This record gives sequence, C-alpha cells and structure tokens, in this order.
Amino acid sequence: MKTIDAKTKDLKNLNNALRESVNGMPIRVRNASHVHGLAAGMRHGKIIVDSNAGDYIGVLNAGAMIEVTQDAGKYVGDNMTAGTVIIDGNADYGVGQYCYGGTIVVRGNAGDFTGTMNKGAAIIIAGDVGDEAGTYMLKGDLIVIGNAGENFANYLIRGNVYIGGEWKSIGHNTKIEPLTDEDKAKLSALFEYHQIKADPAVFKKIVAASEKPFYN
Amino acid sequence: MAVIGAYCVSVNKEICLNANMPGKCATCAEVCPHGVYTLDTLDGEMKVQNFNACVGCRICVEFCPANAIRINPAEPEYFTRYPWTFSTIEEIHYKAQTGEYLLRGFGTHGQTPNFDMITVVPSQIASTAPLDKYREECDMKVVIGEDTCENPVVLKAPFVWPAMSFGALSKEAKMALAIGAAMTGIATNTGEGGLVPEEAWLARGFADKELTDKKWEPGGYLIIQWSTGRWGVSADYLTSGDAVEVKIGQGAKPGMGGHLLGAKVTQDVSRVRGVPVGSDALSPCRYYDVQTLDDMKHMVAFLRDVTNYQFPIFFKLGPSRPYADVAACIEAGADAISIDGMVGGTGCSPDIVTQGVGIPTIACIPPAVQALKDYGVHHKVKLIALGGIRNGLDAFKAMAMGADAAGFGSAAEIAMGCRVCYACQKGNCPYGITSQKEAMRARLDPIETGHRLANFIHACSEEVKILTMLSGHQSTRELSPEDLRAMDINTAALTGLKLCGFERPLPFWENAFQPAGNAQNK
Repeated sequence: MKTIDAKTKDLKNLNNALRESVNGMPIRVRNASHVHGLAAGMRHGKIIVDSNAGDYIGVLNAGAMIEVTQDAGKYVGDNMTAGTVIIDGNADYGVGQYCYGGTIVVRGNAGDFTGTMNKGAAIIIAGDVGDEAGTYMLKGDLIVIGNAGENFANYLIRGNVYIGGEWKSIGHNTKIEPLTDEDKAKLSALFEYHQIKADPAVFKKIVAASEKPFYN
Repeated sequence: MAVIGAYCVSVNKEICLNANMPGKCATCAEVCPHGVYTLDTLDGEMKVQNFNACVGCRICVEFCPANAIRINPAEPEYFTRYPWTFSTIEEIHYKAQTGEYLLRGFGTHGQTPNFDMITVVPSQIASTAPLDKYREECDMKVVIGEDTCENPVVLKAPFVWPAMSFGALSKEAKMALAIGAAMTGIATNTGEGGLVPEEAWLARGFADKELTDKKWEPGGYLIIQWSTGRWGVSADYLTSGDAVEVKIGQGAKPGMGGHLLGAKVTQDVSRVRGVPVGSDALSPCRYYDVQTLDDMKHMVAFLRDVTNYQFPIFFKLGPSRPYADVAACIEAGADAISIDGMVGGTGCSPDIVTQGVGIPTIACIPPAVQALKDYGVHHKVKLIALGGIRNGLDAFKAMAMGADAAGFGSAAEIAMGCRVCYACQKGNCPYGITSQKEAMRARLDPIETGHRLANFIHACSEEVKILTMLSGHQSTRELSPEDLRAMDINTAALTGLKLCGFERPLPFWENAFQPAGNAQNK
C-alpha cells in the first residue's frame, strides 16, 4: 500500500499525487488536516486518511472511496455525485450538502446543517446531528441513529429522513409516517453493510407533507 | 403581475376580425401576459376588460392580425395622481384580496441614476489626435486569467452574456445565446440551472457533439456557473466549459437566491434541478457550504483543482458595498469580477426587491475600480459591468470608468424579440424566450435568433470602436475616466467623474475612499 505524507504538500500537490497514484490499490495519506478539498472531484480509487481531515473532504467526489480514521472538518462530501465517504470519528458542520448521489457514513456525531439540499445521496450519521439537519432535501435518504437538534428536516421536499432517537423540534412541511417493510429492509441492509449496530424497528420516518410548500 | 396603470388600451371594433366573424379571433387575449383582454362569449366581441393591468409592452399590437389595437401612454394623469396612482391603488387591492406580495420578472422600471447624464469627450488638438475609425485598427480583446490559469478566456469583443439559467430561459433561447457568442467570439454563461448539452458545443462554434463541424467562426466560450442552488452540478459539469463563475448575488435581487416558479418547472427542468414538476425551485440566498472568507478561498482552490488549473474563476456580485465586496473577491482569488447594478434583470423576483434594493450600476463601478487599484490588480483582475447596459455607448462609458468588459442581459433578451412585459415568471412568453411550453418555444429558432444576437454584438462593438477611436485611443484598455464628463451634479456626485464646465471632480471626491478605503490595512 502506498503512503503519502501530506505534511509539506498543498492542495495542488497532494491531489495531483493522488490522481497519479490511483491504480486500484488503496492509498494512505498522513498529516492531511491542513488540506481543504482533499480528493476533490476524484473519479475512482480508494484513499485512507490516517489523521484528522480538513474541510471539504471528498468535494465533488465522482466515484472514489474515501475513509478518514479520525475526525473530519466542515462540509464532508460536499456536492458528491457518486462514491463513498466514511468518517470514523466526528464530522463538523454541513455533512453531505448538495449531494447528487453516493454514500456518506459518519460513525461519530455530525454538526449543524447536515444533509442540506441533499439531492440523492444516502447519508448515515451513527451519532447525533446538530440543528437544521436535512433542510430543503430534494431526494435521497438521511439516516440519523442518535438524536437531532432544532428544526429537523425543515422544508423537506422529497426524500426520506429516518431517525432512531429524538429531535428537539421538527421543521416545516414534514409529516411522520410508519416504517414499511421495504424501509426496514433498506435500513438493515445499510446497517449490516457499514457495520453499524442499530435496530431498524425503532426508527421513525419523516417525509414531506407537500411537494409544493411555498406560497404558490 | 406588474401593475403600471399608465396606458390607455383601445381596440378598434370596426377593423377587429371579430366585427365580421364574432368570436373568431382571440389572439390578443392569448398573447397578453397580464389578462387585459377577454373575448365576450355572448356577442363575440373583444373587450378591454382590465386596462389598468397593461404594462405597455405592445405584444398584442405585434400579434394582432388586423392591426386594430392602439396603446397610448396616459402619463399626465399618472403624474397628477401621484403618489396614489393607479399602480399603487391596484397593488394595494391585489394585496388586500390575496394576501400575497407581488412577484414579477425582467427588472427595475422607472427612473434610476444611469449612464444618460454622462457624456463622452472627444479628442481635439490639446490631447492626442483622434484615430480614424474607418481606416485604422482598434484592439478590443479582453484576456481573462492570463497569469493564473493554463487556458485563459480571450474575448474578441469586450462583451459577455451574463448568467441566465435554463429554466428561467427556454432551451432554444440558451442555444441562441451560445450561437450568438460563437459567432462573435464572446462568452455565454450557463446560469445556475445546469448545462443544456447543446450549449457546450454551440458556444465553441461547433454544430455537432463530436466537435468536427465548425460552423460558426471564431467560436466563443462557455462560462460554467457555480451557484447557491447547485442545480445539476458535478465534476463533469464543471469541466465542460472554459471558465467557472462563482455567483454571490445578482443585481435584481441581491441577497436572495434564484426564483423559478412552479409554472416553469416542467419535466426537463425538473430532471436538471431535482425539484418536483410544478413545485417552486427557490435557490438558497447564500452558500450553505461557505461560512467565512477562508471557506470561500478554499472553495476557489478546489474549483481550480477540479478543473485542473485550466480555467479562470469569475465572481458575480450583486450591488451592495462594491468596494468591500470586490476586495473580498480579490482576496478569494478571482480572475474576473462581474458586478451587477440594481437595474439588472431577472426571471422572477419580489417587486419591492427589484425596485428598491441595491445601488445603480454607475455607482458600483468607481468603488470597485478603487478596490482593484488599492490591491494593485486593476486591469489584471478584470471587472465586468452588468445591469442596464443598453448599447455600445453605455458599454463604452462603463469601460472608461474602469471596467474591462460589459454584459448585455436584458438587452440580449430584447434582441431575441422580447418586448418587456415584466411577466417572465409566468412562463407564457409569447416569443418562447422565458417559456418552457412547446407551442411558445416553437416560435424561437435558435439559429436565426443566434444571428440576431450576433448582429447586435457586431453593432455594439462597432459603437465602442467609434467612441474609443474618437477619444484618441487604439485599444479599449487605454480608456480612462478622463474620456468622460458628468452632465449634472447628481451623476458627478455618484461617479466622481469630472463635471463638464467645472472640469474637475466634485471637491468631496478628492478624499473619497480614504477613511475606510485602504483595504490592506484592515
């Protein structure tokens, strides 16, 4: 396995080094907490970050598999279209914003505005999320295993929000629906695949009350 | 709904087709965006049911097969009734009935400070002699991103089409803009509504996807917009153009995101934007993934990285605090900054925001130029003036005030056939420019309209050439505020230009930008 030490590298050098060495074998990256936008727009390959990660990790990801063994900064997997981003620790503000596809797994907690304007990705937070999670979601799934903060799933348009714990307050244009068998099967498959311990039966499902929540 | 209440509408009942064939023709009722006409179902006569709603666009006059409609301005009464004009009364009634605020399209109407009270001073004996427009050359090229990226954008004329999204505009109108850009060597912009696939090759002048058949010389550029709604954005989208524009705001509704009402969210638009058919697509007003200026710097860094350091990065600003905003864009790493004045157009915006928010274009340019000068990057980081630029004269004035290029947004729509009915948000545009309906779009032929747009740019660049050369310059880069004079105190006060007759700027401009001015000291 190839290892890149990012201590002296900036974004351009590091990402160019990653693009050159992606060839099926995973690449390890060390000391990358100062790099914002690591693996931006990567189309394939597997990258393991052996330290904390900076902001915008896996931004515009188009098919790469990115794993962070410690905590990540803000905007994890921003605007992803495919691929997977896994954070073993906690993630800061804005996980999985504007995503069109792919999967994001945070094994710790995530900050505010998680999954904002999600347009098709599956975002799994094994811990708690902050306020305003799932704001203006248009498609895809947001799965929170712990608790959520204020204004959860505010102005949901389409897509599903699942939560195992409690929320402080729920946003506009939401309604709570019972879990169907398909939902349970989907959740347990995802949990099994990502090795997350949770019981799908206790989850609540939130969907949009209307597809046209604004003034017209 | 845009209420003006300042027009008298009359249908000549004798020559109207319904005089001989009652109930036969309802063209005016069909094309009128504001419901001025109704066909009387009892006697088959065309009735002017609601003349207060007329905005004077004269679309009905253009479409009427019998030429039976007359529209006359009723301004004397409009002014004597001020401030309780028909417009105000209708607006209050509308709000009282519906509980809704007014939304409308296009842009600001009424008087705002503009380029009209600025005049161009020609060369005579004391300065360099004028150059001969007919027999000498004038360099109007604008190179964006020369030092910072591998593939700079080289505009053949100092113009761009500003960002207008697919969704707000029809696919055909987007294609026409791309063809117009390809024929004149300027840049078109995807806007925030994702890429119309045809744009990518039409803008470069190719008639086919494989880029083999170059139909239009010299070939233009495609600017890819990266916006707050992030509709249809992926790594492939970013690399399909020649430049990336980071939208911060726009002139018609600074501080608000894009509005696309449900009437225009059809199947095609829904596929790009991911919003259900018929549901409003309201973009966020800010980037959810930017909280600080440092984040913006990181964003520019990864945008450069994703596009492989090939493309220049543009910023687009609304009109708010031009000095500080432009300074922030320079710090974030912009190669070009578009600044959009309050007269800038829009597909849909709350009426009060279009009319009453932001500062005029002429007041945006001097502080923006000062910021560029304070950072030592004037003419290196290019400044593009947008908002209410109507012709080569306005563009020349903007460039002499310190901009490097100008953009025609509303003027481009008008060149495509628009008659300014302020109803873009309804999606019933009879010319197929801002409509998503098949029947309307069929009226707009992209190639023919592309030629009209190219003609417009040719005419405007000739105008800029005339003015540049008569003021004694060989290149638009040599223009300076010395080539302009303000003709009234207001304009001189807003712009810092020399007041004609007085031959100096107004005294308080000597220390302008000094107190809060030096951005490096912040």
